[in-house]
Amino acid sequence: MAGYYKLDKEVWDGALAGILNTYRVFAPLKGVKATDYECIGEAHIPDIVYNHPKPVIPLKTFFIPIKENVVADTAGIHPTIIMGIPGCDLAALDLLDKFFLDEDYPDTYYASRRKHTILVGADCHLTDTHCHCTSYGLNPYPEKHHDLSVHVLNGHVWLSSHSEKGAHLLSGILDSVSFESMDEVPLEIQHVRQQQKRELEKRNKRLPNYQESTDAVVNSEASVWHSYSRTCVSCGACATICPTCTCFLLIDRPGFEKVRQLDACQYPGFERTAGGEDPLKRLDNRFKNRYLCKYLYRPEKYEAMACTGCGRCIDACIGKIDKNELLVELTK
Amino acid sequence: MAVNGNIYRPMKAVVEKVIDESPLIKTFVLVPERAFSFKTGEFIELTLDGIGEAPFTPSSSPLIKERFDVTIMKAGYVTELMHKLEPGAVLGVRGPYGRGYPLEKFIDKEVIILSGGCGLAPIRSLLYALIDIKDKLRKVTLCYGSKTPQDCIYKPLFSQLNQIDNFSTLRTVDFADRYWDEHVGVATVLLDHIDIDLPNAVAVVCGPPVMMKYGTMKLLEKGFPDHLIYLSMEKNMSCGLGKCGHCMLGGYFVCRDGPVFTYDEIKDQPHIW
Ligand SMILES: Cc1cc2nc3c(=O)[nH]c(=O)nc-3n(C[C@H](O)[C@H](O)[C@H](O)COP(=O)(O)OP(=O)(O)OC[C@H]3O[C@@H](n4cnc5c(N)ncnc54)[C@H](O)[C@@H]3O)c2cc1C
Ligand code: SF4
Ligand code: SF4
Ligand code: FES
Repeated sequence: MAGYYKLDKEVWDGALAGILNTYRVFAPLKGVKATDYECIGEAHIPDIVYNHPKPVIPLKTFFIPIKENVVADTAGIHPTIIMGIPGCDLAALDLLDKFFLDEDYPDTYYASRRKHTILVGADCHLTDTHCHCTSYGLNPYPEKHHDLSVHVLNGHVWLSSHSEKGAHLLSGILDSVSFESMDEVPLEIQHVRQQQKRELEKRNKRLPNYQESTDAVVNSEASVWHSYSRTCVSCGACATICPTCTCFLLIDRPGFEKVRQLDACQYPGFERTAGGEDPLKRLDNRFKNRYLCKYLYRPEKYEAMACTGCGRCIDACIGKIDKNELLVELTK
Repeated sequence: MAVNGNIYRPMKAVVEKVIDESPLIKTFVLVPERAFSFKTGEFIELTLDGIGEAPFTPSSSPLIKERFDVTIMKAGYVTELMHKLEPGAVLGVRGPYGRGYPLEKFIDKEVIILSGGCGLAPIRSLLYALIDIKDKLRKVTLCYGSKTPQDCIYKPLFSQLNQIDNFSTLRTVDFADRYWDEHVGVATVLLDHIDIDLPNAVAVVCGPPVMMKYGTMKLLEKGFPDHLIYLSMEKNMSCGLGKCGHCMLGGYFVCRDGPVFTYDEIKDQPHIW
């Protein structure tokens, strides 16, 4: 099913209505303040927001929910489609898969959700203030892990498949509708991609790249962490909202059941031991740990990036701490 | 070790016997529902149903498969409740996890062991494993420290070890009573009382963080190279599987990459003690 398939928007909307009979579909909808994934019904189809920058919640939330009973529940066997996933969130799956699908201890809950979910990637035709994927060698369009991609441009829809799952879904859609097709990435798509990429590069000119960020964090002076962490209230929003932060805690429930609940190194006591030792007791150490984890520890161990440049942690910070400003300051 | 099925679900184990080791420490003899084997130094996650889970290193011989011992110090919420358990109680067990002691690297060596408090639990298992290969070892010296004579655990173990030709033991207490006729002072002082054949020696340290720190310093002072000092690192843990992130020691996950590390592997990581 290689190639790009062009459909009328109404034809696509009709096909989507059919898909809703078989799949649970999540798609970005415009809310009061932001655009985020919602579980949609037929009535929502015309309101789906296409090619918007990242939704509020990161993709990880679908695979490692905030809270899940990992002994009793039967997870995610409902076939699910997630639409409108930006390239940065898809790139985060590099790390998530390494964590949760590792050969020795595969997490069956994660695995089953991954298996039963079709990922529909979306090019970003707009960018948010803090988006910086291009600084880390990524692009504002999906490049891996997506099964299908959907572009809505100039009143029509371009579909392309990128996996067996995607090809299967796509051929089902194309069976009953009329379409045009192209082998190469259509020019109109290429054009928007170039434009968005240039825009991001221009905006983030001052930002160090990944390796430079790593070096800067490793060679940093203690005073920077001290001053930047001053307004941190240890709320953990930066980690909760981050597509690559995966830390969790197992909570016991009767019947030898366990609830896996998202946790974060930013919460006090994360590393406290019974003897009272707590390497991350001090706010500045805790704050710095997140940067060390993202720019040094995870990439070194997993050969995968632990920051995909989505910018969510900057948007989410109550203390108005700007990760990128900090990195710029470190590389000055 | 690959696991089939649910990595979070513990198997059950019945408490067969409870042994009082000291006012704060008890040993629980557990009979698991399925065959269970571990390498010495690997740890398990023990669940008190509906209450909590905590990591412990079996303290029994890795050669015995039908039952195993865990020696638990009362240290907080879960361990305190575990201390109330009686024979017949059912616990959950996940594991074994982690990287234990590399016995093959101890062959033809003199093994100096420095241990304190409840740190003797994993060490007892190691000692049983070393007894099994005693003919291939030059010498084993156990230096053990506890707060008071009462806090000194596994009392029969010491006489058992002293009967083996190439094994010897030294004990110290921080605070002696009038019956104590062995050493007095912190555990590390014992290192001054033994002859070490440095070119043929390896050192193993397991105990509370202060002892780990000063013990390691002392061994370095005596000329031990970084890569021959084996440390059991204790960190907060939740999953034991290298996933939850709680046990990070710099870039390492202590639960997967350890808990046994050589000093040269970890010395450059932040906050090791
Ligand atoms: C690899 C390993 C092996 C161990 N082996 C033994 C042993 O053989 N015998 C023994 O008595 N103790 C051992 N410990 C320490 C033991 O796990 C802690 O004493 C225990 O977790 C304390 O739990 P608590 O709920 O009673 O304490 P609390 O202080 O009430 O614990 C609260 C929370 O912090 C976590 N936590 C606190 N301290 C630790 C800690 N030191 N390690 C991990 N998580 C912690 C607990 O999981 C819990 O979630 C070992 C620790 C590790 C990491
Ligand atoms: S660290 Fe911040 S910018 Fe990077 S992926 Fe996480 S939330 Fe996005
Ligand atoms: S930054 Fe903190 S919360 Fe995020 S993955 Fe690393 S240790 Fe976990
Ligand atoms: S205890 Fe969960 S990663 Fe080590």
